[in-house]
Amino acid sequence: MATDPHRHRQHSQPSEGRISVDEDWAQLRTLLLAPEQTQLDELRDRLDNRSVEPREISRVLPEAFAIRGEGDQQMSTALTPYVENGFIATVRKSPQTIVDAIAPIMGPAIRQAITRALQSMTEAFNHSLDEGLSFRGFQWRLEAWRTGRPFAEVVLLHRLRYRVDQVFLIHRETGLLLHHIAAEGVVVQDQHVLSGMLTAIQHYVQDSFGASQDQTLNQFQVGEWTVWVEQGSRAYLAGVIRGTPPASLRERFRDVLDRIHAEQAESLVSFEGDAASFQAVQPHLEDCLQAHYEAPPSRSALKVWVLGGAVLLACFWWGWTAYQTHTRWSQFLTQLKTEPGIVVTNAHSTWSGYYLEGLRDPLAKDPSVMIQEGGIDPSMVSSHWSPFYALEPQLIASRARSMLQPPGTVQLQVKGDTLVATGSASIEWIKEARRLAVLVPGIVHYRDEGLVSVSVPDLLDRVNRAVIRFGPGSASIAPSDRLEVHAIADTLKDLEQAVSQSDQRVRVDILGWADQTGPAALNLNLSRQRAEAVLAILGTEYPRILTTVRIGTGTERMVTFRASLEAHPKEPEPARP
Amino acid sequence: MMQKKVCMLGGFAVGKTSLIRRFVTNVFSEGYHTTIGVTVEKKIVKVDHQELMLVLWDLYGEDEFQHVRESYLRGSSGYILVIDGTRKATLDTARVLQQTVVRTLGPLPFVAIVNKSDLRSEWEIDQPVIEQLQEEGWPVFFGSAKLGQGVDELFARLAAMLLSPAPPSRTSL
Repeated sequence: MATDPHRHRQHSQPSEGRISVDEDWAQLRTLLLAPEQTQLDELRDRLDNRSVEPREISRVLPEAFAIRGEGDQQMSTALTPYVENGFIATVRKSPQTIVDAIAPIMGPAIRQAITRALQSMTEAFNHSLDEGLSFRGFQWRLEAWRTGRPFAEVVLLHRLRYRVDQVFLIHRETGLLLHHIAAEGVVVQDQHVLSGMLTAIQHYVQDSFGASQDQTLNQFQVGEWTVWVEQGSRAYLAGVIRGTPPASLRERFRDVLDRIHAEQAESLVSFEGDAASFQAVQPHLEDCLQAHYEAPPSRSALKVWVLGGAVLLACFWWGWTAYQTHTRWSQFLTQLKTEPGIVVTNAHSTWSGYYLEGLRDPLAKDPSVMIQEGGIDPSMVSSHWSPFYALEPQLIASRARSMLQPPGTVQLQVKGDTLVATGSASIEWIKEARRLAVLVPGIVHYRDEGLVSVSVPDLLDRVNRAVIRFGPGSASIAPSDRLEVHAIADTLKDLEQAVSQSDQRVRVDILGWADQTGPAALNLNLSRQRAEAVLAILGTEYPRILTTVRIGTGTERMVTFRASLEAHPKEPEPARP
Repeated sequence: MMQKKVCMLGGFAVGKTSLIRRFVTNVFSEGYHTTIGVTVEKKIVKVDHQELMLVLWDLYGEDEFQHVRESYLRGSSGYILVIDGTRKATLDTARVLQQTVVRTLGPLPFVAIVNKSDLRSEWEIDQPVIEQLQEEGWPVFFGSAKLGQGVDELFARLAAMLLSPAPPSRTSL
């Protein structure tokens, strides 16, 4: 309807009158239709120039993406390579931009991961430390060595009360896996296939028992693992748990599943096989990855008290023993220092016992005997003694007796530096004693005014005059007569001493007598028995005295002696070749 | 990655398991066939640069096909019918199974494979019968478990059908 006013003006030129009319008309038309005319011109321009304006596209582009994306995944498929390339180019060109963009997300995630790793490591370390030195720990070390697993891991497994190894979020209708997480170190089979099998098993059980849709398989157990299934309207949660989980864990599963259903309601309803959107449920599933370990056995207070008491008793016993030993040692040292013939020069305790050093006269008391008498373990004492001559009177007397060998009838006494001999002795012994006495260490003078000399004939006579009497029919010596026999023995010793330096010896015949009562043979036997009884007391240990038993004939019940001197037989000379 | 549940259906001893065994991620033993009647396996196929995970429910084949657990079929996006070329009865079984699926789940994308193509001379199913199936809208493939043939094409076709926004193949009840 609208026409070009300029063109219209060209056709109107021949007539001026009409020009005026046309101009008016045109003016009027311009006044009335100017806005519509402008719009018409713009529409014509658009029709003539069909090229797309970016500005116009920008207005509809977001809406167009949204509408196209609703239908299928082709838009995503088409854009994916360009988005990927763009991302790679950005990372290369300006990595800092990407770092700045993801830092708010990555920072907390990394911190959380490190915290968990440290907690796990600390827990493993604590358990290892607790069990490191116990018998059970030793058994677990063997197991770790046998299985090739780290000791900390073996400890954790034995301490494990329960641990959720894996959690599956599975679409209920299709059995397809929506999301899955597993605890660190858990070996995971193909979780997609496992999801299908878990679903198939549930269907199988439901069908087999004719159960309704509401009656579902909630739990099954395989060895040390328990599988808990928590059913939701669109999806179910399956937790693979090692050990014995508490009932509270089931409630946590329920809560998590409810939250997922609430947050992912739309995705669950429209699920067609793309589980990408369920990545967002990861934190919820991580809440289900619970683990609880047995606390280390707490040592009861009683045990601590018993242990402490035992230690205290041991300390007390040790202290008491040490005190007693020390006391005994002190007493022993005191006694040792007062013992004649012993001089202690060094005495101290060592880590294994005691050490003693000093001088000891050979005639002094043996220190090892004193140690035993003092109640001290001889193995604890190490000692070193150097010999010397002590000048204490009793030791000088002992030394004099040792050197002079006095007969039993002689008494020796030390008075200062003088040795005094009293009693009786043979002339020979008296002479020998005078020669040797001054050689005894500690003796300067020797006095024997009180010593009576006894000759060999006197001694022989003393023996010959002796008589030992017996009761009728008896060969046993009465106690009173025993003294007489001992006196004869002393006389024999004197005789031995007296003839020791000569070439003679003493012959003593012991004559046994019996009365005439009874048979003669019995009397002869009784006589012999009486002589032998006397000989048994006298002894035969005299090199220069020959004792023989003889039988006398008479009417007395007695034993008499017949002592005489005779030449001492010379020892046979060794045979010459 | 997109996942789809796919059921493997067929009569007894048609070679379903043998056909796919070497092409899938095999986790569970075949013993589950005789215990709970199904094993689940997995195969990833690529269609137009897009990967698709087929979660295969390999249902235990039996001639008493009416015993196929319908619960196992639920949630399937498609299915595969396996026929033994040397036993015509297995085709009838496949037909009934297909009708069971349609009755249970409605029309779904599916493909059929006639197995034992290495024994073609012994086939009881002749070409006219196969053409008849194709006319009915059955995408029919030929495969050999022995030679390992036909399986990739079978999965590729089914995957394409599952990803295609077009309506499923025409089926006959």
